[in-house]
Amino acid sequence: MAGNIEVRGLSRTFHTTVRRPGLAGALRSLVNPERVEKQAVSDISFDVAPGELLALLGPNGAGKSTTIKMLTGILTPTSGEARVAGVVPYRERERNARNIGAVFGQRTQLWWDLPVRESFAILRDIYEVPKAEHAARLREFDELLELSAFWDTRVRHLSLGQRVRCDLAAALLHDPPVVFLDEPTIGMDVVVKEQVREFLRYQVAERGRTVLLTTHDMTEVERLAERVVLVNHGRLVLDGTLDEVRRDFGSTWQVRATLADPHTPVGALPGIALVSHDGPQVVFGPDGPAAPTVHQALKLVIERYEVTGVAVDEADLEDVMRAAYAEARARAEAA
Amino acid sequence: MNAVRIIWRVTQLNFRAQLEYRTEFLMMIAIGAVWQVSVIVFATVLLTRFAGMGGWDSSDVLLIPATRMLAHGLFVLFLGRVHGLGRHIQEGKIDAYLLRPLPVHRQVQLEFFPTNAIGDLTVAAGLMAGALGRSHLDWTAGRITYLVAAVLGGMLLETALFTVVASASLRFPAADYWGRWLEELLGTFGSYPLNVLPRAVGGFLTFGLPLAFVAYFPAAVLTGHGHSTGVPYWLAAASPLLGLLGYLAARWLWRWALGHYTGVNG
Amino acid sequence: MTTLTHAWRAARVTPLGELYTPPRVTAALLRLTVQVVLVASLWHGLYAQTGTTAGLSRDQAVTFAVLAVLASRLRELDQYAARDTVVQHMYYGTIVYWYLRPLSPQRYYALRALGEQLYGFAWAATGYAICLAAGVVVPPESAAVAAVFALSLLLGQWVLHYVMLLIDQLCFWTLRNTAALLILIFAQNLMSGVYAPLWFFPHWFLVLSSFLPFQATLNVPLSLYVGRIPLSDAGFQLGVQAAWLVALRFLTRFLWRRAARRVVSQGG
Repeated sequence: MAGNIEVRGLSRTFHTTVRRPGLAGALRSLVNPERVEKQAVSDISFDVAPGELLALLGPNGAGKSTTIKMLTGILTPTSGEARVAGVVPYRERERNARNIGAVFGQRTQLWWDLPVRESFAILRDIYEVPKAEHAARLREFDELLELSAFWDTRVRHLSLGQRVRCDLAAALLHDPPVVFLDEPTIGMDVVVKEQVREFLRYQVAERGRTVLLTTHDMTEVERLAERVVLVNHGRLVLDGTLDEVRRDFGSTWQVRATLADPHTPVGALPGIALVSHDGPQVVFGPDGPAAPTVHQALKLVIERYEVTGVAVDEADLEDVMRAAYAEARARAEAA
Repeated sequence: MNAVRIIWRVTQLNFRAQLEYRTEFLMMIAIGAVWQVSVIVFATVLLTRFAGMGGWDSSDVLLIPATRMLAHGLFVLFLGRVHGLGRHIQEGKIDAYLLRPLPVHRQVQLEFFPTNAIGDLTVAAGLMAGALGRSHLDWTAGRITYLVAAVLGGMLLETALFTVVASASLRFPAADYWGRWLEELLGTFGSYPLNVLPRAVGGFLTFGLPLAFVAYFPAAVLTGHGHSTGVPYWLAAASPLLGLLGYLAARWLWRWALGHYTGVNG
Repeated sequence: MTTLTHAWRAARVTPLGELYTPPRVTAALLRLTVQVVLVASLWHGLYAQTGTTAGLSRDQAVTFAVLAVLASRLRELDQYAARDTVVQHMYYGTIVYWYLRPLSPQRYYALRALGEQLYGFAWAATGYAICLAAGVVVPPESAAVAAVFALSLLLGQWVLHYVMLLIDQLCFWTLRNTAALLILIFAQNLMSGVYAPLWFFPHWFLVLSSFLPFQATLNVPLSLYVGRIPLSDAGFQLGVQAAWLVALRFLTRFLWRRAARRVVSQGG
C-alpha cells in the first residue's frame, strides 16, 4: 500500500509530421510527409515519498503532462524506468490502475448524460469497491466538497467548478494510495479553488495519499507543496523544497528591523548584507551565493540584535519561478 | 466585395485544413467512391425493377432522383454546414461566432470544407446526365430553365429544412436527432413518385414534411404528370419559388432563434 | 457476483441516459411509428403494378422492409448526445480514462454494447408484436423457420456489433472522420438490406456483397424469415455468418491491441 513513486532516467521521444506552408506545401505534405523527432521528456529522475505532495512545475510544453502520462501507464517511455507503488505502470497498466487516481484538468471521466451519482456507481463497480465503504467515502467527500447539492444533476448541466469537484471525488473513490492531478484547478474561482486545496491537504495529511500535482498557480504550490520538481524543455532543472527554490532563485528578500536602541552598532552578518541603516530602522538583504533563507536570516537578526519589530519582504513564488524559468532557458540556450 | 474575399480565403484555408489530415483525406476519397457506386445502384435498381411505378415511364422517374441528388450535392457544397450543426452548438462554437464581426450563418457555412460534396456532385451530375440522355422529352429552353430553377429550389428547400432543425438545436440539444431522421427521410422517400403512396402518407410528405417539393413535383410538371400529383397544378409548378420562400422563412427563424440564444452548459 | 454487478452497471450506461431524457424516448417512438408506416406504404405502393419480383412477393417484401426498420432500432441509441462515442472521447481527450481503469476498454465497450442491444431489442420486439397483431408483417412460415431466424438474427447482430466496433476503432487512427463514419454507416445500411432487400440489386452487386460482412448482419436473417432463403440453405448461410463472426472477432481484437499501443505511444 506504500504509495511511493520512483522515476529513473525517464525519457520520451515523439515523432511528428511537419507541414509545409501554403497550398502547394499542403499537397506535397500529403504525398511526402516530413517527420521530425521531438524529445518531450529526457532523462528525468525523482522520487516521491509516501504521503508526500510534490508539485511538478514548468512552463507550458515543458513535459509535465507527458511525465504524468507515463506514470499513469497511458504512455510508454522510450527509455528509463518508473515505479508507482511498486508497479511499473506502463507494463502492468490494469494493476497500476487500482493503485492510482487521476484527474486531467478539464477532461472529465464522468458520464456526460447521467447524474453524477450514477458515474460514481459505475466506478464503484469497475473498481470493485464494497458498498458500505463506497457510501462512507462519498459521505466524507461530500463533507469536504459539498457534492450532495448537485450530485443528482446530470454532468452536462454542471458548472466547471462542480464538475471538477466531482471528478476529484471520482478519482479517489477507490481509495488509491497515489493520486495524479494535472492542473486540477484550472479555470476555477477562488472559493472553489480553496475548497479543492483543503480537500487535497486533507487527503495527504489525514489519508496519507501520495500526490503528484502539476499547476501554474503558485499560490496553490505555496499552500500545498513542500517540495517541487521543476522541468523545462523535458529536463529536470531543479528538485528541492520550496525554501531551497527561494534561496536559489528568489534572492531578493529583505528583513526590516526596528532596533530597541537606535545607537546599537550594526554590521553585516555571515551571508547577510546591511542594505540600509537609518536611525532605528535597519534593512538586511542576502549576500552572495551562501546567503541563508529568509527564515534563517530572520532568526539570525533576532538573535544578534534586540529589536522591537521586524518585517519580511520576500519575492513571491511567482517571481521566484519566473527567475527559475529564465535561468533554465538561459542554460538550455547555452547548451 | 469584402465578404466574397473573406469567403474565398476561408474556403481556401478550409480546403488546406482538409489536406492536413492525410489518412482522413485519402480515406474520404476512397470511401466516397464506394458510396457513389452504392447510390447509383440504389437509385436505379428500384426504378428499373418497378417499371411503370405510379404510372410514370421509367425514364421519367429517373428525373426525380437526379434532381434530388443534384440539389442535395449543391446543398452539401454551399449550404450543408447547417446539417449536424447541433454538435457544434453543443461544443460552444456559436459563442465564438457571436464574438466576430461576421454574420453567424456565414461563419457556420465556412466551418469546414465539405470534401464529400465532390463525390456527391459527381454522382448527381452523372445521374442527371443519364436521366437527360434517356429522356424522351423535348428539352426546350423553357424546360431547361425550369429544371435549373427546380434544382436550386430543391437546394434551398433542403437548406430550409435543416436550418429549422439547426434553429431548434440552439435551444434543444436533442434536436440533432431529428436532423438525422430528416436526412434519412429525404434520402429514402425523395426518389419516388409519391403518388404510389396512400393519400394520407403522400399528404404528410407534402404538407407535413415538404419533401415532395424538392424533386417529385418539379419532375411531375416537367414530364407532364403535373395534374395527377394530388395537389393543384399551380402549387406543384411553384415548387422552386416555394423553395426560395422556405429558405427565406427559415433564415428568418434562424435569426430569431439566435436572438433568443442563451448559450450551452450554463 | 461483483463481476456481474459491474457488467450490469456498464451495460446500462446508454439506456439509462436515454431514460433520463424522456424527449428522446418520445422521439424514438414517434420516429419508429412513422418510419414503419412510411416503409410499409412505400412497398405496398411499389408493388401496386407488379407481382412477384426478384423472388419476393408483396407480403414478403413488406415484411422484410418493416422488419429491417425494427431491427435498425436495435443499435440506434444516441451515444453522440451522451458524449460517449469513441470519436468524441478521442476529441475531448477523455479516452485516457478508458485506459486508466482496471476494466479494459474492450470489455467496457462490449458490455456497453450489450446493454444497448438488450434495450433496443425490447423496443424491436414490442414493435414486432404490434406489427404482427396489426397484420403489417406476416408471421414466419413454421416454428423451424422462426428458430433458424432467431439464431441467424443473433449471429447477425453479433457481426453487426463487430462492424460497428470496427468503425469506432478507426477513430483511433483518424481523428476527424465523422463524415467518413456517416458514409460507412450508409454503406452498412445499404449493403445489409436496411434500405431495400439485397435481392433487388443486380447480380454483380450481390456477388460483391457476398465478399463483405454487411449482408450477414441483416439480409440473411430477414431473408430466412420471409422464406427467400429456404431452410435447406440455412445451414450454409449460418456458417457464413459464423465465419464472419470469427474473422471479425480476431480482427477487432487485433485492432484493440494496436489501438492500445497507439494510445500508449501518443498519450491519448
